[in-house]
Amino acid sequence: MLVVVTLAIFGLTSAAQPHFALQGNISFLLASAMPLAVVAVGETVVMLVRGIDLSVAPVLGIAAVSTGFIAQDSHVSVLSMLPLALAIGIGLGFVNGLFVTYARIPPIIATLGTFTVYGGIEQLICNSRTVVTLPTSWINLGTHDFLPDVPYILVPGVLVTIAMALILWRTRWGRSIYAFGANAEAAFRAGIRVKAIEISAYTVCGMLAGLAGLIYVVQVGSAGYNTGSEISIQLQAIACGLIGGTTLTGGKGGVVGSFFAAIFLTVALEGVIVAGIAYQWQSAGVGVLLLVAILIDAYQNRQGRSVSEALRSVLGGHKPVQQEASS
Amino acid sequence: MSVIVKRARAAAALASDRTAEEYAPARYEARTITKSFGGANALTGASVTIEPGEIHTLVGENGAGKSTMLKVMAGIHPQDSGDLVLNGTHLRGLTPRTAIGHGIYLVPQEPSLMLTLSALENLFVGIIPRGSMAFSVDWKAMESSAGAYFQQVGLHIDPWAPASQLSIAEQQLLECARALAHRCNVIFFDEPTSPLTAREADVLFELMRRLRERNFTIAFISHRLEEVLAISDRITVLRDSRVVAHFDNPKQTSHRQLVEAMVGHEIAVRQRRQRDLSGAEAVLELKDLGAPDGAFADISFMARRGEVLGLAGLVGSGRTETAESVFGMRRASGTVLLAGKPYAHRSPSSSIESGLIYLPEDRGHNGVFANVEVVRNITAAFVPHLPKRGQLLHPRAEVEVAEKAARRTRVVAPSLDVPMKALSGGNQQRAMFARWLLAEPKVAIFDEPTRGVDVGAKVDIYGIIDTISDSGVAVVMISSELEELVLLCDRVLAIYEGRIVGEVTGDEITLERLGAMVVGGGASERD
Repeated sequence: MLVVVTLAIFGLTSAAQPHFALQGNISFLLASAMPLAVVAVGETVVMLVRGIDLSVAPVLGIAAVSTGFIAQDSHVSVLSMLPLALAIGIGLGFVNGLFVTYARIPPIIATLGTFTVYGGIEQLICNSRTVVTLPTSWINLGTHDFLPDVPYILVPGVLVTIAMALILWRTRWGRSIYAFGANAEAAFRAGIRVKAIEISAYTVCGMLAGLAGLIYVVQVGSAGYNTGSEISIQLQAIACGLIGGTTLTGGKGGVVGSFFAAIFLTVALEGVIVAGIAYQWQSAGVGVLLLVAILIDAYQNRQGRSVSEALRSVLGGHKPVQQEASS
Repeated sequence: MSVIVKRARAAAALASDRTAEEYAPARYEARTITKSFGGANALTGASVTIEPGEIHTLVGENGAGKSTMLKVMAGIHPQDSGDLVLNGTHLRGLTPRTAIGHGIYLVPQEPSLMLTLSALENLFVGIIPRGSMAFSVDWKAMESSAGAYFQQVGLHIDPWAPASQLSIAEQQLLECARALAHRCNVIFFDEPTSPLTAREADVLFELMRRLRERNFTIAFISHRLEEVLAISDRITVLRDSRVVAHFDNPKQTSHRQLVEAMVGHEIAVRQRRQRDLSGAEAVLELKDLGAPDGAFADISFMARRGEVLGLAGLVGSGRTETAESVFGMRRASGTVLLAGKPYAHRSPSSSIESGLIYLPEDRGHNGVFANVEVVRNITAAFVPHLPKRGQLLHPRAEVEVAEKAARRTRVVAPSLDVPMKALSGGNQQRAMFARWLLAEPKVAIFDEPTRGVDVGAKVDIYGIIDTISDSGVAVVMISSELEELVLLCDRVLAIYEGRIVGEVTGDEITLERLGAMVVGGGASERD
């Protein structure tokens, strides 16, 4: 359904402004959705354990400026910076996990705190410099396609999404994530090591935010003291999770939806600009989409079924799950 | 609206000595009520009439529609069709608020108090009297009239204490007091006794009888048929969303007649098994187990291979705490031996690995993943051992594992892909048994395994316990229903105030004996 809406927006915008569908633009849209997509995949893992991570924006930023400065100064390859980006993310995500799991601070408060701290660290690293002149190899990777309309940047995003989807659905760890989110007490009693699971969710989220930082700097070609926070990527990522069908109440949803939601959100926002609406409307647009997603989430919690199920049952053909009345 | 305002004023003005105020007798009829949830019929043309001055009990298996009936009559669920008639007046578009305006109040299954607010605020919520200024609260009027309501229901509590400090029994009485404060004289009790001990339940029954004398109109739901037969003036039986039988004279009705009306066919009477297990090896041994908070102390016992060992005791006697300590959920001093070996660093995950499982008593909180598919609920504790392909779990093989387990415990579900909450309580519990049997236990602790399940599921659960104990599993069974301990157990230990106070074996296990032991008396000496 999300794919349909995305294509519809794309189609409408292209009809109004034919250059929207030019070859280079499709590629650009997909590429510019990838940092968000990777952050959203990580955020989704945290949402599945009934958490929330607001600090992904500066985590992305720190990874972007750290790898960007090194590349700018010493012309290293992108791949050689991958371990650094991941390590930054893992470290910062683990700290979030410690606060939530062991200090028992509610995730929204803990990560609001680390959001500010990490943002400060990002500024310290920048020290009023910005990443502007990346090596040519980096620029090429960020702007070239390896197939028509398929940018290189798409590859890590797709790989991460597929890998996380498989891990979540078909490994013991993934199962534990869902079980913890659905009912932490029952999960503990079913023999799941709940603290390790919760902390690992934040660590994975941080790691993917770090990876997204590297993708970001490659794709955009610059980074600065407020990279990530500037576009409130943490809110966009949460919106992607919600739009993609993951709930804030845990245990339900998945990363594939979040990936497509990221593309959807990017296309919708770019569409706004191309359609001739002032870019200042963008953040209002994110807000509206977020609210719509939250309304859908609330509806699903109330009805016990997803919107697409409800639509299908209204349109006929699909019989909804029967709910037995409790007595 | 105006009715409510008037009632609010009346409540505020009520002086503490005006307790025995007269109410107009209320005859409340539900006529051919039909109600469905998402396609499933909860009520089909069901009619009930509750007369003033009677305690009218609704019985039936889980999912029969009892709760739904009372919730419709209290305005919580709007009916799809049918009429609600109070003293000849049709009530249309009933909501909880307007229902209270008509004097109808439902005391829910789980008390629904605002736990952070005081007992006083809970009592008057919705009709908090105004003070001298329009926006202020007249705390004095509240406090002075509260005592009378608390007294009427037999509550002795600090009105300023937060509701969270009250026991479940006190919370229920507070709910009753709230009904009185709201000037209601049609009061429904939706399965109030299931979380209560026998003594607490007696307090509640006493209150219900007093309200009956005052010509109140009372409806009651319970799964405990003994108490139903003892307290009811009339009984209506529901089955599969329909009213199937009335008993106008409960004193002349037998337990068996009632059960047969509920399940719709004749039932076999279970006989207790006679087995001699004194020679079997001990697989679980507890030595001087004690809780740091004193919830239990000096607990020593052992469970043999193939034995069903009952732990009898009142709620709060330390039974659950002992079981949770053995399973590794809370710390305790003393030693636990599993199959003869000391088991020191206990945790749920290592217990499950070593073949010790614990089915918790509060299924909703501690057991099920309500929004998750039945399949995954069944395999939840078995994930490390599920078939794999490479590093990844094998989804189809998982479903097969779950289906096999579900067949063993006779889970009835439209499909194992529906969320757990779509199943009735009995089927959820069958699925929980399926989960724990997958772990291939050597020692199984079942905490209130039949609470909140219907008669059919109970029989199945007894069958499961028989089967696994025959296969050599040591079963430790915690239950407040002494009847089932008598039926199932080879040996029963009684726990009272955190200590073991008695032990009975074989034919010594009788209702009278257990009943005396759980309140700390009549214990036989242990060696």
